[in-house]
Amino acid sequence: MATKPKIRELLDESACAHNSTRKAGCHVTVPGATSGGCAFEGAQITLFPYADAAHLVHGPITCIGASWQTRLSHTSWPGRDMTQMGLTTGVCSNDVVFGGEAKLRASIDYIVAQYAPQAVFVYSTCVTAMIGDDIDAVCRQAQQDHGIPMIPVHAPGFVGSKNLGSRLAGEAVLTHLVGTLEPAEITPFDINLIGEYNVTGDMWQYTPLLEKLGIRVLSTLSGDGRIARIRTAHRARLNVLVCAKSLVSMPRKMQERYGIPFISVSFYGKRDTSAAILAIAEALGDADLITRTRQLIACEEARLQARLAPFRKIFHGRKAVLNTGGNKSWSIASALQDLGFEVVATSVRKSTEADKEKARRYLGEQAVLMTDPGSQQARIIDETGADLLLAGGRSLYTAIKKKIAFADVNQEKKKSYGGYQGLLNLAEDLKNALENPVFKNVARRAPWEN
Amino acid sequence: MGELNRHREKPLEINPIRLSQPMGAALAFLGVDRCMPLMHGGMGCTSFTKVFFTRHFCEPIAIQTTAVTDVAAVLDGGDGSIVEAVHNITRKVTPSLIGLHSTGITETKGDDIRGAAKQIKFPIVHVHTADFEGGLESGWGKTVTAMIEQLVEDRSELRSDKVVLLPHISMQPIEVEKLKEFIGSFGLQVVALPDLSTALDGHLGHKQGALSSGGVTVDEIFSLAEAGAVISIGESVKFSAAALLKKNPAMRHMHLDHVQGLVATDNLVEKLMDYAGLQQPSPTVVRWRKRLQDVMLDSHFALGQTRIMVTGEPDFLAGACQSLTEAGARIGLVLSSVDSPQLGRIEAERVVVGDLEDAEKLQSEYDLIIGNFHAEALARRYGKALVPRGFPCWEMIGNQLKNDLLYEGGAYFLCEAANAAEAMRMQHHAV
Repeated sequence: MATKPKIRELLDESACAHNSTRKAGCHVTVPGATSGGCAFEGAQITLFPYADAAHLVHGPITCIGASWQTRLSHTSWPGRDMTQMGLTTGVCSNDVVFGGEAKLRASIDYIVAQYAPQAVFVYSTCVTAMIGDDIDAVCRQAQQDHGIPMIPVHAPGFVGSKNLGSRLAGEAVLTHLVGTLEPAEITPFDINLIGEYNVTGDMWQYTPLLEKLGIRVLSTLSGDGRIARIRTAHRARLNVLVCAKSLVSMPRKMQERYGIPFISVSFYGKRDTSAAILAIAEALGDADLITRTRQLIACEEARLQARLAPFRKIFHGRKAVLNTGGNKSWSIASALQDLGFEVVATSVRKSTEADKEKARRYLGEQAVLMTDPGSQQARIIDETGADLLLAGGRSLYTAIKKKIAFADVNQEKKKSYGGYQGLLNLAEDLKNALENPVFKNVARRAPWEN
Repeated sequence: MGELNRHREKPLEINPIRLSQPMGAALAFLGVDRCMPLMHGGMGCTSFTKVFFTRHFCEPIAIQTTAVTDVAAVLDGGDGSIVEAVHNITRKVTPSLIGLHSTGITETKGDDIRGAAKQIKFPIVHVHTADFEGGLESGWGKTVTAMIEQLVEDRSELRSDKVVLLPHISMQPIEVEKLKEFIGSFGLQVVALPDLSTALDGHLGHKQGALSSGGVTVDEIFSLAEAGAVISIGESVKFSAAALLKKNPAMRHMHLDHVQGLVATDNLVEKLMDYAGLQQPSPTVVRWRKRLQDVMLDSHFALGQTRIMVTGEPDFLAGACQSLTEAGARIGLVLSSVDSPQLGRIEAERVVVGDLEDAEKLQSEYDLIIGNFHAEALARRYGKALVPRGFPCWEMIGNQLKNDLLYEGGAYFLCEAANAAEAMRMQHHAV
C-alpha cells in the first residue's frame, strides 16, 4: 500500500557525489534568492518523453498551462505524440474545498476513451497534495478497470527542486512499471538508457552506432521511450546513465534489485562519445564486441576528423569561455577542444567535486574554473582576449558589450549537439557565430553619442 | 448572434489555452519601473512564468519566489518566507516596489499576505491571485486594482490635460505605445498603468538589470488621481478604473471594450474629441482612417470567403472579432480561455469557453485560426491558416512589436489575416 516514496531516503543517495559533502544538499531553497524549477517540473522533464502515455497533471492551470509543448523531445512513436499535449484536471475552488478525486477519475476515463494511451501518468501538484487527494487509490482503481498501467507520480512542487522531482519520477517508474512485463526476447547486449530525453534528437545521433555493434537499447527513460519496453527494463544487461546525475538512484536500485550494473557517460564531443561507446562495450564484457567497437570508433573518428578539418582551420587559436552548468562544464568543453578551440574558462558553479576535477583535467592548469561566472566572465574575456562566449541567454549582453561572438547552449537550443554528427552541427553553428557581423553592428555607437 | 456556451463540458482540460492568475499578476508588475514581482508559492510557479515570458518576449524577466517548501507549507503562515524573501531581494538590489502575489498553494493554505506585507518596511503591493480561479486577465486586472488601491494618493483637484490609460493584458508593448501616442495627439499627457511599452518592448539597454526596467514609475502611480480622466480598455480593467475614481470622484471615466477596427476607434476618437474640446483629430489620424477603410475594401474579398476561429483572452477576442467582421469575415468559432461578459457581445456562430481539444473537434467550422502558438499543431494537422496572436507565441520573434490597434494597426491586422487566408487557399489548390 505504501507507494509514496520516502523523500529523505531519496535525498540521501549513496551513489551521488554530493552525498559525502552535504547530505540533502540538493534540497536547498532560499526565498527571494532562488531560481530554477520545482519537483513537479523535474518529474515532468523525466517522464514526458513517453509519447505513447498520457501525462495527466492533477492540479490548477499554472502547472501545465505554462509548460506544455515547451520541449523538443522527438519521438518515433507513430501514434498521436502525447508529449505535445497538455492534460490537466484544472482544479478550481470547488475541487479545493470538496476534493478532486472524482474529477481525476472522470478525467482518466475520458483520456482512455478518447486517446487509448499505453499508460497514464498522474502527477500530483502542490494544491492537490495539500488537499490530500488520494491519487494512489484512484490510479489503482482505474488500472483495474482499464487494464493499462496507471502510475501515480508524487512530486508536488513544494517537496523540493527539479533534481528531486526527477528522482521521484524515477521512483514511480521503478515501483509501477519496471519488472511488470517480460520481453519477447533478450540478447546478451541489451542496455537501458537512463536520463536521455532525446531533446532535439540527441539520442538518435548515437543509437545507430550502438545498433551497428549489435547493442540493443531495450528501453529508455525516457527519450523516444515506450511504456511496454520500460516495463521489461529489468532484463537488461547494463544500465547506461546519460549526462544526468538526478536519476542516479534508479540504476543504483536496479543494481541492488536485479543485479544490473550501471555506468555513467556523456555523448558530447568526439572524445566523450568514443569513450561512452567503448565504456558500454567494456561493461558488457565481450571481447569480440570490444574489438569491433574499437574498430568502429577508429573509423568514425577518422571520418569525423576529415569533415572537421575545414572547421579546425577556422577555430585554431580561437579562445572560448564556457558558462554552463553541471557536467556540461566539462563535456561541452571537451567538444570545443575537439573542434580546435582553446577553452580558457568554464563555470563550475553547479558542478560536483568530480565534475570540477574532470574540468581541471580537460582544461589544464592555466584555465579558470569560474565559481561566480556572472561577475567573472567579463573580466576573463578581457584578460584572455576570448573570441567566443558559450552560455545561456542571460549572458548575451556580456558578449555584446565585449563585441565577441555568442552561442546559446542551454535547453532551448534547436539543434542536436550530441554524438559525432552533433559535433558537426556545433561546429557549423560556432562558425556562423564567429563570422556573424551582428555583434559588431549592434555594438555600434549612435550618431548622437560621442 | 450564434450559440454561446460558457460551461466546460469535460472533467479535464486538454491542450489548454487558459493561463494562470499569478502569471497575469507578474506581467502587470513587470510594467512598473524597477519593480520586483514576488510570487508567493512553490519555485515552479515562478520558474514556469519566467521561462514563459522570457520566450514570448525574448527578454530576461525578473521575477522572484518565496520558494514555499513542504515544511513552510505546513508550519509557516506565509509571513516567514515572505519577510525572508524581501530581505534576500533587498540585500542585492533596491527595487522601487515589491509586487507580492499569491498562488494556488498559498491560497489553499490561506496565507495572510496582507498581514505579511504590513510587516515589511518597503514599498509593497499585495494581491491575492489563486491559480484555481480566473485566469491571465483577472490576475492582471486584480493587480492593477491593487496598485491603485494601495499606492495612489487621494486627490480632489484635476489636471484636465492628463489622462490615465488602463490597458488590458493582451495588448503588446508596441500597442500600448501606439495608444499613448494616439491619445497624446489630442493634446493630452498620458500615463499608462501598467506600461509595458517602455518595459518589455525589447529595447537593447546598457545592462541587464535584476529588476524590470522601463515602465510606469512608482512616483507616477502615486499621483495618478490628479488626472482629469481615466480610459479603461477591456472588461478586465473596468473595475480598476472604478477603484481610481474612488481616489478622485471628479475624474471622468471613458470605457471601451476594445480599440480594434473602425467602429471602436471612431468611438475612441469621438470620446477624445469631446474630452479635449477638439473638432478634428490630427491629420495623421485622419489619413490612417482612410487607409484602414481602403484596406477593409481590399481585404474583404479574401476575408469574406474565410471562416475564422479566434482564440485567446476575452478582451482580445472582442476586439479581433469585431475588426474582422467589419471587413466581412465570418467568425465560425470563438474559443475563450475564461468566461467574461465580453463573450455575450461577440458576433460569431459559436462562442465557447474551452480548450484546443474542443477547437479540434469543431475544426470543420473554420479555415483560419487566430490564436497563440499552441494552435500551430492544430493548424498544421488540418491544413488551416494561422495568424499567431496572444500568449504564448514563443516560436516567433517580434511579438512585442505586433500592432493590431486603432486605424493603423487595424489596417496591418486585416492585411495579415487576408494574406494568410489567400496563402492557405493557394496551398490547397497546389495539392
